[in-house]
Amino acid sequence: MNTKRMQEVISQNAIYIVLVVLVLGIAIYDPSFVSINALRDILIQSSTRTIIALGVAFILITGGTDLSAGRMVGLTAVISASMLQLQDYPRRFFPNMGELPVIVPVLLAILVGLIFGMMNGWIVAKLKVPPFIATLGTMVIIYGVNSLYFDSEPNQSQPIGGLRPDFTKWGSGSIGSGPYSIPYIVIIAIFVAMVVWVMFNKTRLGKNMYAIGGNEQAAKVSGINVSKNLIMIYSIAGALYGLAGVLEAARTGGATNNYGNMYELDAIAACVVGGVSTTGGIGTVPGVLTGVVIFTVINYGLTFIGVSPYWQLIIKGLIIVAAVAFDMRKYASKK
Amino acid sequence: MKKLSMVILATTVLGAALAGCGGTKDNASSTEPSVGVAIYKFDDTFMTGVRNSIEKYAKGIAKVDIVDSQNSQPTQNDKIDLFLTKNTKSLIVNPVDRTAAGVIIDKAKAKDAPVVFLNREPLPEDMKKWDKVYYVGAKAEESGTLEGGLVVDYWKAHPEADKNKDGVLQYVMLKGEPGHQDAESRTKFSIKAVEDAGIKVEKLAEDTAMWDRVKGQEKMAAFLAAHGDKIEAVFANNDDMALGAVEALKAAGYFKGDKYVPVVGVDATAPALQALGDGTLLGTVLNDANNQGKAAVTLASLLAQGKEITKDSVGYEVTDKQFIWIPYKKITKENMSEVK
Repeated sequence: MNTKRMQEVISQNAIYIVLVVLVLGIAIYDPSFVSINALRDILIQSSTRTIIALGVAFILITGGTDLSAGRMVGLTAVISASMLQLQDYPRRFFPNMGELPVIVPVLLAILVGLIFGMMNGWIVAKLKVPPFIATLGTMVIIYGVNSLYFDSEPNQSQPIGGLRPDFTKWGSGSIGSGPYSIPYIVIIAIFVAMVVWVMFNKTRLGKNMYAIGGNEQAAKVSGINVSKNLIMIYSIAGALYGLAGVLEAARTGGATNNYGNMYELDAIAACVVGGVSTTGGIGTVPGVLTGVVIFTVINYGLTFIGVSPYWQLIIKGLIIVAAVAFDMRKYASKK
Repeated sequence: MKKLSMVILATTVLGAALAGCGGTKDNASSTEPSVGVAIYKFDDTFMTGVRNSIEKYAKGIAKVDIVDSQNSQPTQNDKIDLFLTKNTKSLIVNPVDRTAAGVIIDKAKAKDAPVVFLNREPLPEDMKKWDKVYYVGAKAEESGTLEGGLVVDYWKAHPEADKNKDGVLQYVMLKGEPGHQDAESRTKFSIKAVEDAGIKVEKLAEDTAMWDRVKGQEKMAAFLAAHGDKIEAVFANNDDMALGAVEALKAAGYFKGDKYVPVVGVDATAPALQALGDGTLLGTVLNDANNQGKAAVTLASLLAQGKEITKDSVGYEVTDKQFIWIPYKKITKENMSEVK
């Protein structure tokens, strides 16, 4: 009886245990890993990934999936970067554009994300196209739109650089200075996570989201307007990708149409490792955050101790498969 | 049963992690300075050559840690943050996107870690940000000029190359990634070299094959379908695409009997040398991976130790205090043994 309780505790908290084991393992191998700077790097590198993963989590919980997330990040990175270049930069995307307040291109990029998200939701909810196919289509469309924009005169597919410091500070600046400063990008990610937590747990939309993912027919019968809720959820996810794209541009000081490529797969992987069920209805914000941090620790920590990048890929893949296998077992035992 | 399978799964994950750690070489001798190297992506043939050269020449002068930026600038920035956190003494960066160099320089300057940019040249205004920023690379236009020169040599030595006897060279061009500095300049300067030699040219077709062999083959097949024997020369921005074109030409019956069209590329990769030997590829231009890697790691090691950078200490001419230019070489069947 006691061992059964133990097993239950372990399986409920498996991802946290994995995280602790990973960190301990790396720290034992190279004790200099345990430093405030490494922690700071990991938090910074988790920030945009968290925002994207939370967007994807909305959709996974409804029982859907979103392959267009990465390309949306790329599109919104390019849009925001194209309008926030220095006035005296020699290769400007819009040579004659005056200096806009930073918030204008940022909101515009988020709005573009929201609109494409809405399009995803509409295709899924109204045209009844399975989410995998719907977002596969929009993924390709968005990359095409982005490449067209990126290739337009006079830019012609040149990387967009020379971004204004009052914009890039949101990606690379921080409150205070030195190792104990708090980067803006981390604050933004934490704020977004809190807002999403409230949405998941305290709003009607959140409750509907879990209901739709748990059993769409039952949700419909109990009077939930499934289409309307789905369109709203996909739109919110799109807006989050938009914000993430803006932050990627700010963080790197530039953008190309290749930004965000394959980010959706990282985000989906982080969600499933964080306990979001791919069959819908299950998933929490702390779980997603842990999933994201696990992958950042793998990326960062294994590079830190010098593990070959090819081995890193193998380890990542195995963790994804193992996480879902454990999850399925949990699910099966409940039944 | 279920338990057993879980145990197997857990063991596999753990085993992989351990094997990964075991796979790392720990040849740390404390006197060698640590140098962080970020390559734009590991599966690029040319950069793999540079990477191998860096590893080879680092022995005894630097402890290098080479990472893959997976063709993503945000990933590269993450790796650079990691190097700086680890207090790496200097950096070698092969940028994914050359406009991102400004941000990288700011980060490195804050930690006083000198940066050697490799193969993709930062913008001039970024190079001016700090005097401990260097660039090692080749002048892209030179590769184009030499590539054009290969065709000029052939055209002048072989009157039958002008298939339709109109005195004009009809050619097709396989371009690399649009907007890529090398792709644009090789395209421009290879043709300019032909024109400068007094030969009239006519472009039959030009398309991008994204540096890729498979795409090179597909595009060349399409060019052949449209223009067939009218094509008198094939220019490719790199060898992978040139070899793709050779495959398409072979499929169309070229390189048998006297059916021939000159194909030229850039990079002098191992498969390209093979094709030179076979007589399918006319010539290529060596982008000297070996010397680029050697110069970069020598420079990074000296910078890490705070030593002065001169022609004598690095072994290469230093132009404008910040640039080391590695020259290209024309490679044909005659001198290909020099490369191996």
